[in-house]
Amino acid sequence: MKFLPFLFLAILPGALDAQMLDPALLLKPPADAWPTYNGDYSGRRFSPLTQINQSTIKTLNLAWVYHALPGETPRSIVGGEGPAEQPGAGERNPFGASIKSTPLMVNGVLYFTTPDNTWAIDARSGRELWHYFWRTKGGIHIGNRGVGMYGNWLFFETPDNYLVSLDAKTGKERWHVEIADVKQEYFSTPAPIVVGNHVIVGTGGDSLDVPGFLESHDPETGAIQWKWWSEPLKKGDAGAETWPDEYAMRHGGGMTWIPGTYDPELHLYYIGTGNPNPVMAGQSRKGDDLFTCSIVALNVDTGKMAWYFQASPHDTHDWDSAQTPVLFDGEIDGKPRKLLAQADRNGYFFVLDRTNGKNILTKAYLPTLNWSKGVDSSGRPIPNPEKEPQVAGVLVSPPSGGATNWPPPSFDPETGLFYVNSSDSFSMFYLTDTDPHPEGYGAAERGAGSLGRALQAIDYKTGKTIWKHDYPGGGGAGGLLSTAGKLLFSGDGSNHLIAFDPANGKVVWHAGLSGNVSNGPETYMLDGKQYLVVGAGDSLFSFALAD
Amino acid sequence: MKISICGIRLFPAALFLLLGACLPISAQTQRTDAGANAQARPPAQQRRFNGGGRNYKEYPPEVLENGHKFFSQNCAFCHGANAKGGETGPDLLRSIIVLDDENGEKIGQVVLNGRPDKGMPKFSMTQEQISDIAAFLHDRIRAAALRGTYQILNILVGDPKAGEAYFNGAGGCSACHSVSGDLAHIGAKYDPVAIQQKIVMPREERYRARSAAPETAPRTVTVSLPSGEMISGKLDHIDDFTVALTDAHGDYHSFARDGETPKIEIHDSLQAHIDMLTKYTDFDIHNLTAYLVTLK
Repeated sequence: MKFLPFLFLAILPGALDAQMLDPALLLKPPADAWPTYNGDYSGRRFSPLTQINQSTIKTLNLAWVYHALPGETPRSIVGGEGPAEQPGAGERNPFGASIKSTPLMVNGVLYFTTPDNTWAIDARSGRELWHYFWRTKGGIHIGNRGVGMYGNWLFFETPDNYLVSLDAKTGKERWHVEIADVKQEYFSTPAPIVVGNHVIVGTGGDSLDVPGFLESHDPETGAIQWKWWSEPLKKGDAGAETWPDEYAMRHGGGMTWIPGTYDPELHLYYIGTGNPNPVMAGQSRKGDDLFTCSIVALNVDTGKMAWYFQASPHDTHDWDSAQTPVLFDGEIDGKPRKLLAQADRNGYFFVLDRTNGKNILTKAYLPTLNWSKGVDSSGRPIPNPEKEPQVAGVLVSPPSGGATNWPPPSFDPETGLFYVNSSDSFSMFYLTDTDPHPEGYGAAERGAGSLGRALQAIDYKTGKTIWKHDYPGGGGAGGLLSTAGKLLFSGDGSNHLIAFDPANGKVVWHAGLSGNVSNGPETYMLDGKQYLVVGAGDSLFSFALAD
Repeated sequence: MKISICGIRLFPAALFLLLGACLPISAQTQRTDAGANAQARPPAQQRRFNGGGRNYKEYPPEVLENGHKFFSQNCAFCHGANAKGGETGPDLLRSIIVLDDENGEKIGQVVLNGRPDKGMPKFSMTQEQISDIAAFLHDRIRAAALRGTYQILNILVGDPKAGEAYFNGAGGCSACHSVSGDLAHIGAKYDPVAIQQKIVMPREERYRARSAAPETAPRTVTVSLPSGEMISGKLDHIDDFTVALTDAHGDYHSFARDGETPKIEIHDSLQAHIDMLTKYTDFDIHNLTAYLVTLK
């Protein structure tokens, strides 16, 4: 650590390097780069670019397609702690290869991931520059949300819970450090978020009742800087009064599996935490189970919690509150306010004051929501105990998959609308573990019918849905992007990428892809040309206007 | 609005890539949604995900029985009959030592040497006894971690009489179903969980794409073209831009959609079940199940 100043000096000439990320780019809306998971720290996924707009989009053309082939090839740069003999992609990944990461675009190069795989491709042509493959020890291979970048260095997480750093120029590994134990069924999917000299990483895991945490690493050495546990660890800790005993809190879940957002003025990092454990059997963890299913604000230098707001007290339906906490400044009752908004997996839309976590608005955005008895004076939903999983089964909306899930939402400051893809469905929840100390999920879920999926535009001042587009098809619609070109991009669950008018939901443009949109679309300027890039299953599609 | 990738002007450099890209896209529109998904996935990916990312072993039943027996005789007094911890011993199913163990090598060290600092005595056991106990513990961990293997318990808590009244009254079931007709002997054909599932979700939409079984009561559609021609059949796919159907002759048709043109009417014979989702109480569902189970 003492050598850090020298190391920093040593890489300063790297400022001239073609690949190096200028940290100033992280602080402004994305235009010439897409330098972090959400484009900037705010989580709005709003681009100020206007070259592609409602008029010009008529000539939006396919620029290139990149077909990603996960797995080790003779050309791959190989790392990892797992055996050389790796299971087939299908065997390891029952979910299929899917690009859920939002590629970073820095100085003409796109960097993106699938579980165990990281690629660099030319953002102009889609030509592969290098591929890094991680030999895994295991872990659930459900998805990976991408890389973080600091100077010339890239960072990503693996399903077996390593933080790996690569040289962006070459794809060669610099170091890797283990952040959690795969034998305890931790598995890691987030994109690291780089703030100053902090590489912030989280993890996931619901199968063996382990505690969640968020931690910060040194970008040069990988050394841990701070670790925040999402539950109290012992009696007397903040939140301990919401658990019956130390055993319950130390096995209480609260995973940190979606990248958070950051306010550079307040110096606070915002993240939503996952469900408590055991997941659906609550009898051994009576109480609110803080700080699971919560939006929390942490000091980015120390990891100390500044405030929390719990979205689902004593959750028993796997409703992580991990969805992106979106930051914007707005007006409430005529006064300018620093706000945070989240469309939660539990079916509620929340607006908070991001300086102190005080609730401003709570409103259900899912018409079929049936698990709550209303909202208390602090803006928290009140769970109906009758809708906790029962042996004979209870019919609950939303299902565990939620009213929405990880695909990123968007906030357009020009319309003042918050956009989210939602699903109006039911499941039966059956308690299967009636032991006083249940384990794992403790319940089984069986899908019931669905009333459909929709794109909703929510007014943050009232929580009202201003317009709604019902998707006639059935699949997941993916993430969202809004732009100053008065366009809102989304998938439709039927293999299309659609551009909507963000003011009224009219369809302006669409293209058929080779699969459903599987990530958050992004846009950037390169050589004076605006590109639109979107992942659909195992392929990246890039569009630009005709010359 | 009508632009698609394959129909527009191109960057010259993109032409080559596009030819490749267009093939799957145009092929895509020839198939149903379900067919496309099934084809895109190799067989290995169609297996059910049970949860868990470790490679959990399966043990012979006699090994598990022996392990359970040795555990009950030697360990349960402190660690609890179910190994989740007792008054003096910790939960072994969440023990890092047990989670790190493969075949008893780490568990054995503790068993044979004891943990004097924590008050655990030494035990004299054979390697086989130790590995059997390890198998018993690992199997219990596996059972908790793999949620896809959980067994639903006895769900029959409803009142059959109330279920019968609901069937013929407020539930509206008798408008489409008859207990002496289509539902005759349903209680003998299916277990209670399957019956309850058929009430709340008669169409297994979620897994349809991965199943070779024909769709239950597929939706039908009538497309009215501007020419006045009307075409009806099984709805294969609909989105904002296309609608596709298979007619009575087995011929596939697809039509481009532009707003309200052509006019489309979809009929879902299971719509009543979807409508009930927002009306049922859990008591209604339990009572209906209890009633249908009696129809042996």
